[in-house]
Amino acid sequence: MGMLEEIEKLKEEATASLAHIKTPDDAENFRLKFLSRRGSLAQLFEEMKQIPKEEKPGIGKLLNEVRTQLESEFESAREKSESEKKRELGRIDLSIPGRKRYIGRKHPLTQTAEEIKRIFTSIGFGTADGPEIEDDYHNFEALNFPPDHPARDMQDTFFVKPVQTKEGNETGKYVLRTHTSGVQIRVMENNKPPVRVIMPGRVYRNEAISSRSYCLFHQVEGLYVDKNVSLAELKGTITYFAKEFFGSGVKLRFRPSFFPFTEPSAEVDVNCFICSGKGCRICKYTGWLEIMGCGMVDPNVFKFVGYDEKEVSGYAFGMGIERITLLKYGIDDIRLFFENDVRFLNQF
Amino acid sequence: MKISRKWIEQLVDLNGVSDQDIATRLTMAGIEVESFENLSEKYNGFVVGSVMEVVKHPNADKLRLCQVDIAGEIKSIICGAPNVSAGQKVPVGLVGALVPHDQHDPDGKPFQLTRAKIRGIESEGMICSEYELALGDDKNGIMVFEEDAPTGKPLAEYLGMDDTIFEVSLTPNRADCLSHLGIARELSSAFSRKLNPKKPSLHETGEPIAKAAKVEVSDPELCPRYSARVVKGIKIGRSPRWLRVAVEKAGMRSINNVVDATNYVMLELGQPLHAFDLNLIEGHKIIVRRPHESEMKFATLDGKERALSSDMLMICDKDSTIAIAGVMGGANSEINPVTTDILIESANFSPSSVRRTSKKLGLSTEASYRFERGVDPNLTLAALDRVTEIIVQTGGGTVAQGVIDIASTKFAPRRIELHVDQVNRLLGTRLASGEIRRLLESIEIHCDKKSETIFVCFAPTFRGDLEREVDLIEEVGRLYGYEKIEEQHQTRLVFDTRFKETNNTEDLKGYLAGSGFNEIVTNSLQPTDVAGFHSESFVKIANPISEDMASLRTSLLPGALQVVKLNLSYGLKDLKLFEMGRIYSSNGGSNGESFAETEMLSILLTGSADPISFDRNGSEFDIFDLKTEVERLLKHLNLDNWDFIPYDSTREYKQVLKLFMNGSEVGILGQVSETALDKFSIKQGVYFAELNLAEILSARKKTNKFHPLPKFPFASFDLAFIVDSSTPVGSLINSLKSLAGNLFRDIYVFDIYSGSGIPEGKISVAFSVILGSDERTLNDGDIARFIENAESKLAKEFAAALRKQSTK
Ligand SMILES: [Zn+2]
Repeated sequence: MGMLEEIEKLKEEATASLAHIKTPDDAENFRLKFLSRRGSLAQLFEEMKQIPKEEKPGIGKLLNEVRTQLESEFESAREKSESEKKRELGRIDLSIPGRKRYIGRKHPLTQTAEEIKRIFTSIGFGTADGPEIEDDYHNFEALNFPPDHPARDMQDTFFVKPVQTKEGNETGKYVLRTHTSGVQIRVMENNKPPVRVIMPGRVYRNEAISSRSYCLFHQVEGLYVDKNVSLAELKGTITYFAKEFFGSGVKLRFRPSFFPFTEPSAEVDVNCFICSGKGCRICKYTGWLEIMGCGMVDPNVFKFVGYDEKEVSGYAFGMGIERITLLKYGIDDIRLFFENDVRFLNQF
Repeated sequence: MKISRKWIEQLVDLNGVSDQDIATRLTMAGIEVESFENLSEKYNGFVVGSVMEVVKHPNADKLRLCQVDIAGEIKSIICGAPNVSAGQKVPVGLVGALVPHDQHDPDGKPFQLTRAKIRGIESEGMICSEYELALGDDKNGIMVFEEDAPTGKPLAEYLGMDDTIFEVSLTPNRADCLSHLGIARELSSAFSRKLNPKKPSLHETGEPIAKAAKVEVSDPELCPRYSARVVKGIKIGRSPRWLRVAVEKAGMRSINNVVDATNYVMLELGQPLHAFDLNLIEGHKIIVRRPHESEMKFATLDGKERALSSDMLMICDKDSTIAIAGVMGGANSEINPVTTDILIESANFSPSSVRRTSKKLGLSTEASYRFERGVDPNLTLAALDRVTEIIVQTGGGTVAQGVIDIASTKFAPRRIELHVDQVNRLLGTRLASGEIRRLLESIEIHCDKKSETIFVCFAPTFRGDLEREVDLIEEVGRLYGYEKIEEQHQTRLVFDTRFKETNNTEDLKGYLAGSGFNEIVTNSLQPTDVAGFHSESFVKIANPISEDMASLRTSLLPGALQVVKLNLSYGLKDLKLFEMGRIYSSNGGSNGESFAETEMLSILLTGSADPISFDRNGSEFDIFDLKTEVERLLKHLNLDNWDFIPYDSTREYKQVLKLFMNGSEVGILGQVSETALDKFSIKQGVYFAELNLAEILSARKKTNKFHPLPKFPFASFDLAFIVDSSTPVGSLINSLKSLAGNLFRDIYVFDIYSGSGIPEGKISVAFSVILGSDERTLNDGDIARFIENAESKLAKEFAAALRKQSTK
């Protein structure tokens, strides 16, 4: 077949195809077949390289004309197909719901922990972390829990079975930490004052599992040691936190308590937001909900970490993330946090 | 601990103070009142009645019609009890009263008394049994009171139930408050009322005590003080009502007059006491010592045999052990119905020794609980006098002259210096020295002025918890009132790089949630076989709650599968989950630690990749969805250098890829094996990735520099090769990449095809390749040259054939 006939055939074929362009997809197929870099028209241009020199101008002109014509006709067919599509859309039933997609959420405990962290970070607290498998020294002794002291009964403890080390020795006495307070000791051991950190983490208690207690929970503790830190300042910090977290209307109550590692010690209550202080089942009819323990770092703890109690003073506080989350949302069973029923997770 | 208001009122005047005030003030002084109950409300509408006359009910054989005087009024009451007779004093419930237990109801529910006709005759009240009044189990007849019970007296008052019981939760430091006296002392301070401790009166008319009994303390370290009295010729019997009621209201069981008296004084003063039958003490001699090798078994008075150890302290007679010091007495010397002579022990034992003994025996008693926390060593004699007074009052007998009192030392108040400026520095207050002194002296801490700003304070021996200046500062703060301390705010802002969080996960969690993953939080305690399934070096718990939680997890997989199982049980089968948490190993690794904890990230996909919609068929998740998620995550973290390497299947996975970064393995992903799924009865495919979060986060570039945007457009083109179906597509990609060299910009696989037009055993793989140059725009010739070279390179390396015409 001669070049001229080929051009003529292409033109006929292309014109016929143009008439069938209805959708944008049809238009794209047309473009690929005829007008793209690998399309039929491009091939004809390629073949032109082989024809005798004297024929080139005529055929070249013809080819160019065909190209211009096809391109412009294609362009208008394409535009028409686009507007067809738009008109068709107008007829689609828009009451059909959108397509279902996965929705994910952060766990409610994470949301609470991040909120607590945000508040303390905004007033100058850094963060610190430590091991969950903790030695007796950091979990108890350096926190002023002497051996054979009833204070150890305040926390039911999981003990870790000793293992053989590579050197053939048995590991010392290890526990699953009962609080993140061991991190306080590690922070002070490794850093000179001032220190100001919060310590979030997982802790364990050897208690029967029920709607009210689980074998583990999460804590955020805080520690600030500097010159002239006072109980008044602890009150100020906790009050700021409580207002940010629970809202400016919150009422707080600091009442004396006891923790081996703080002296003086206090328990912090907020007015029950379920009954607004009138008394209900959740607050055991007291009108108050206990949210954290706190106090001034005990001088014995400073001795263990090598701080001079005459130079510095400090406060520490700690709260349970599960407890605060339970209270905040009125959740009645702590086990829901660890079952991860997605119908539960999707509520937060 | 249960505290009775009536009892407290014998020690301090609380006239005009409400129950709520007491609860609030105690709580705000650090003695938490958990709840309180006014017992008399339970007996509203009940009085003591005097039965005047009893006649048969005219219309019923078993019923009696009684005329009962309730002072000022005669009530006509029908009664079915066989024991009712004229002249009795009885409890009477009047119309409207709430009877605590209905004797005819299987659950004994309460009911309200109404005016009722019984067989035609009206009854104006009810004579009650012990059970109906919730005062005991006796249902066999009505309760009958002592003859002198005052007619018409409200029942609560007569029974001693006109009282409020406070449930107090004490912190371990406040041993001094384990008694009514201790609580009364706090209230006297809180309400500025005078404390009036009892002053017992005794008549020592018996023989000198040295003739009656002897005591030898051979271990004064574990027994700093041992005091005793002897009373002879007493009668053991049921305690009088006031004593029974007092002991029972405090939550203890009434036993007999002697035992009740010792418990009563312990509850009143805080001193645990023990009474021995003197005639069961061999040689009438007490020896306080540790047990001999031959004495390692001992029968306590609760009827159990206890295994002793040589570090325990025992009370012994000439021949054998008769009590475990500070914990429990022995069956061989206990007070019994025929006891006449007794020796009363009032001793002080070492707190840590009692605690060790109690822990070892698994036996905690009211006595051991108090000794563990520390009892005032100067309390022994006062308690002896008080208990002797009560015993003589309730059981008669003759008190031997004098007391035995063996003390290793003199127990003096502890001397502590208190600096006023230290008080104000730590509390953030501006208290004057006079105010500080007033507060401390209100709880019997005597203060001497050493200088204008220094006190020498004397902590009484009942406050063993006060050892240091800071302990006194706490007392000052507590008594002043924490609520009065004004809040202060820190104004100093310091930037401290030491505590900057390097591995913050907030953003990553947000990203994953935004990608449709629900975050889960699972238990890190697992059954031993589950922990062992994933790793040999796992951490075991010495005292697990149950076998289900005996070890620490070695993988996040089992916890996640448990979550899948739970959700499947609710019909929720399409899940995208992630978790961040630690796994634990007993192999501490190189840095000398005993154990290792690694922060991991897991991702789980199961069910439909495209949940149901009206026009698209949902396909199930597969391994490439998982790979996609992992790649997106790594890109989100701005990482750009990683390798996936396929591995043989493992116990956990059947299609496995390991993720490598900078030459080290940082994660694994794959389709979970049937073996692993079977443990959770999961029947659908689960795709799981577990990545070392700490390593991935630390691999992030510290700073990300801006790259200038390309000056010349990229060239994009498609090409397809026909290769053996066993050829890894990844290798083809690598080969094309290396061929492109520094012109390489990107490459995608957009089609993998076999079937019509493709020879048997071959596949066609179509690529979209993007090339670019920093120096110029690439032209058709560059592309053509690349394709030509690719054709020959891949032909050589993979026997691949270029498909001439690829379609897209
Ligand atoms: Zn409430």
